[in-house]
Parts: sequence; C-alpha cells; structure tokens
Amino acid sequence: MTHTITFTFNGNAIQCEEGQSIAAALINSNQRELRRTRFGDEPRSIFCGIGICFDCVVLINGVANQRSCLVEAHDGMIVESAQ
Amino acid sequence: MIIVIGAGPAGLAAAEAASRNGSEVALFDSASRMGGQYWRHRAAVSGYRSNRADEIFAKVSSAQSITHISEANIWSAEREGGLIRVNYLQGGIESSLTAEKVIIATGAYDRTLPFPGWDTPGSMTPGAAQSLLKGQGVLAGKRIIIAGTGPFLLPVATGLAEAGADIVALIDANSPLRWSLSPLALLTNIAKFSELMYYARLIRKYRIRPQFRRAVTAYEDGVATISAINSRFHIKPGKSQTMRADVVAVGWGFVPDLSLGGILGCAQRVDSDGTVIFEVDENQMSSQPHIWIAGEATGIGGADLSLVEGEIAGLAASGQTIEKALLRKRVRKQRFADALKRTYPVRDGWREWITSDTTICRCEEVKSQEIKDSVSDLGAEDSRTSKLFTRAGMGLCQGRMCSRNVSEIVSGITQCAVTDGERIAASNRPIAAPISLGQLSDGKNSR
Repeated sequence: MTHTITFTFNGNAIQCEEGQSIAAALINSNQRELRRTRFGDEPRSIFCGIGICFDCVVLINGVANQRSCLVEAHDGMIVESAQ
Repeated sequence: MIIVIGAGPAGLAAAEAASRNGSEVALFDSASRMGGQYWRHRAAVSGYRSNRADEIFAKVSSAQSITHISEANIWSAEREGGLIRVNYLQGGIESSLTAEKVIIATGAYDRTLPFPGWDTPGSMTPGAAQSLLKGQGVLAGKRIIIAGTGPFLLPVATGLAEAGADIVALIDANSPLRWSLSPLALLTNIAKFSELMYYARLIRKYRIRPQFRRAVTAYEDGVATISAINSRFHIKPGKSQTMRADVVAVGWGFVPDLSLGGILGCAQRVDSDGTVIFEVDENQMSSQPHIWIAGEATGIGGADLSLVEGEIAGLAASGQTIEKALLRKRVRKQRFADALKRTYPVRDGWREWITSDTTICRCEEVKSQEIKDSVSDLGAEDSRTSKLFTRAGMGLCQGRMCSRNVSEIVSGITQCAVTDGERIAASNRPIAAPISLGQLSDGKNSR
C-alpha cells in the first residue's frame, strides 16, 4: 500500500505518494510552473528530469537551489518557487 | 577494494563480474535503487528484455562482496599515495572512501538542441518523460509529441502510450533508410530485429504514426510547429504544420558525463559523432593506471554495449581472465553502436531554427542574439571567449546543457570548425556535483 503525504508548494497543500519526487508530485497535480527565472521572469518546469539541468530548482524548507526532480517529497515539507 | 561509480547497466555488470572472484566492491549511485537511467524503475522494470535487468539486480544484491552505496553523489576524486579517494555527499553529509581501483560507469544524459520555446513548461527531454513515468509513476502530459532522433524515442513513445498517454506524433529527423549505410552491423546483430519488431507491434497497437525527416522547430502556448527538414536539417519552406500538445519531448541522442574521469586526468578524444569520450584500451582501462571506464562515457552505444564493456572492466579490475568470446561480442556491439551514429546524425542546420530571442543557456538566460553580438561586436573568436562575455554555460548546470550548442553557434558565425581541444575543454568541469561551502567546511567522515 502506498502512503499519502502532504507538503506545501507556495502555500498550497499538495498530496502525493510517499517516495515521489517533488517535481513528479507537482506535475501530477497539474502544477507545471515550478519557478520563474531571475532576469526574464519566465516560467520554468522540469526539463532533463535526472538532476543535470537545474531548471527545476526550488527552495525546500528554506534551503535554496534544490533539484525538485531528485528530492523526495516528505510530509510537512515547505517548498517554494525560488527565482 | 574496487569502487564502481554508477549502478546502470555498465556499473552493474562491472560490479557483478568483479565479485565473481570475491573482490570487494563498493557500488556507488546517486539514486535510491539500482538500474541507472535506462533500467529506472519504481516497482518492476518493464520494456524490452527487462528480465536482463532483474537477473543482474538479483546477482548484485545477493553478492556478499558488493556493498551498494545508494543516494550518494560523488562530487570529486583524487589520488592519494597509491590509492584513489572519492568524495561524496550522502543525506547532506560529506564523506569519502579510498580504494586501489576505480571503475567509472557514469552514463549519459539527453543531448538537447535549442529551438524557440524549448525553455517553456511542457518542453522536456524524452529522458525526463521517461523518468517521470518509470521512476515516479507520473504521466508528463496527455497529448505528447516525441521527437528528435534515435532509437531511444521508441521505448519512450511506446512506454508513455502503454501508460495511457496519447502520442500525437513520433518524429525522427533522420530517415530509417540510412540503416542501408551499415549492412554489416545489421547482419552481425540479427537479434536487434526482434527488438525492432517488439516496438513495431506496440506502435501499431497504439496507432502511433511515425514520421521521418521532420523536427519540432517551435513550441508556443501549447502549439508545436513541425517542419519538414532536409538531410542537413535545413527547414523546407512551406511544409510546416502545427499541432496542439501539452508535452513536447525532444532528444538528440546522448552526452556522457565526463566530470569524474576528467578530474582524475583520464585522456579523452572526440568520437565520430562529435561527442567527447574517454580513451580506453582493450580491457576498458583508461590512460590512468587503476582506472577503468565502461558504458556511454567511452562512446554512446546503449545498454547492450554497456553490459559487455562493464563485464570486461569488472573482470580486468579484479584480475580475472577475459575470454576471447567476450571481446568478440564487444566488437559486434561496437559495430552496431557505430551504425547508430551513422544512421542518426545531428546536422548543423538546426542553427537556423533559432531566432534572436531564443534562449541558448537556460541557467543564465542567455539569448541567441547575445552570443551573436559577442562574436560580431565584441570580437569573440571561440566559444570560450563568447561564454566569458555572455555568461553562457556558467550557471548551475556548468554548461552541461548548452556548452556544445554555444560552440556550434559560434562556429557557425566565425565559419571556423569547432576544434577537438575546444570540445574537450567544454566537456570538463572542476567539480562533478554541486556542493555547498558549508558542507565542505563541516568536516569529513573518512573511511
């Protein structure tokens, strides 16, 4: 049996299966925009999916530049879009 | 002790082969489960001949002398006396391990080309769509276009279709007729036909219509432009169509990650397809003593070739005899890998697909026009100088995505071919994975 957990993304509650990556959980919840870029303020999402491109970086519990495609979501995590 | 870096097909085969005479093996991988990118799995591995994966997982898991060190990111490596030390991060803690011998099997990632809209949400690599599905159980979208070139598009398209996605187009920029250039490779790898048949059945079953000599040349507001292209990848005028899709997954073959071997001084060369790879001898040994390299980092060739190279490297590193038959098998698989490169080339006509405001470096948001200006107005004569002017390739990914493309774009303007030295310099990085200064200064757990 898979266990459902809840984390927040920019203040909104997101539910996913335990063990799923943050990016996968967000894509599955139709939340494709993971951040906006520093200079052009353009939306970005998952791109390489395996931790190479750093396009999906987010702030996790206050720590910047975390690759959401690699980090597993945990109950109570606070995830935010970083610029 | 032998350190094997990477638990994909090559690394698994190397670890398994080395363990046959009881050699101690530390098998490192950044993921939690073994399998690498190709045999990525959440529950059971699926797809063509996935039983091979299960067999080798079982052997590696049950081998007493193999320790699987998972979720560990090796960020550097160094010589220490007669030993080699690898430094890694695991769960936010910096540690290191030394061994007499190292086998590098770090694999590859999707090669990408820029086009207008490739940086918008919904555009991703086929590898990303694959990893979301196989590793996470998540469909990247509902209406998906798979494009680019190469046989890897087949497992991605059919896997997504099996999981319920609508593959609205499967597009290869090259014509399959190019296989006729490599009759010997086909005749000596007859088993490959059954793999092709496997995918052909699935393509029919899910009513996917493959298209050739076309490419996705733009993606905007959920609409992809599909252009007919010639053999040099130049767009044929008046033959473009548009198609709605919520995902365009575009990949142009693979790029190996050379960081660790590069840090250790292993010699590199430029392969027939322009990819920078490591030089290895008959036993997969690099130019550096006690370092062997197997899999995609010695030339892109797929899982079949990686398994053989890994086995040879594992046997060599553990001092076991390598049967002639195994070496002959590598020759055959190598021939097929060379045929793949001949059949699915990436031609430089793609440089016409980009417009002045197309993003080239995703990390630093450098546009095509800025690179052009760095050459014509600022006098950059090569990609290195252009990168210094524009910051292209200097962001978080350290140029892994754009380096090669920047070189090609600059070369298109200066009309000077990219030199091998430039290609090799652009493929190497001083650290293999990001590490914060805080983690570095917090002291090490040495073993």
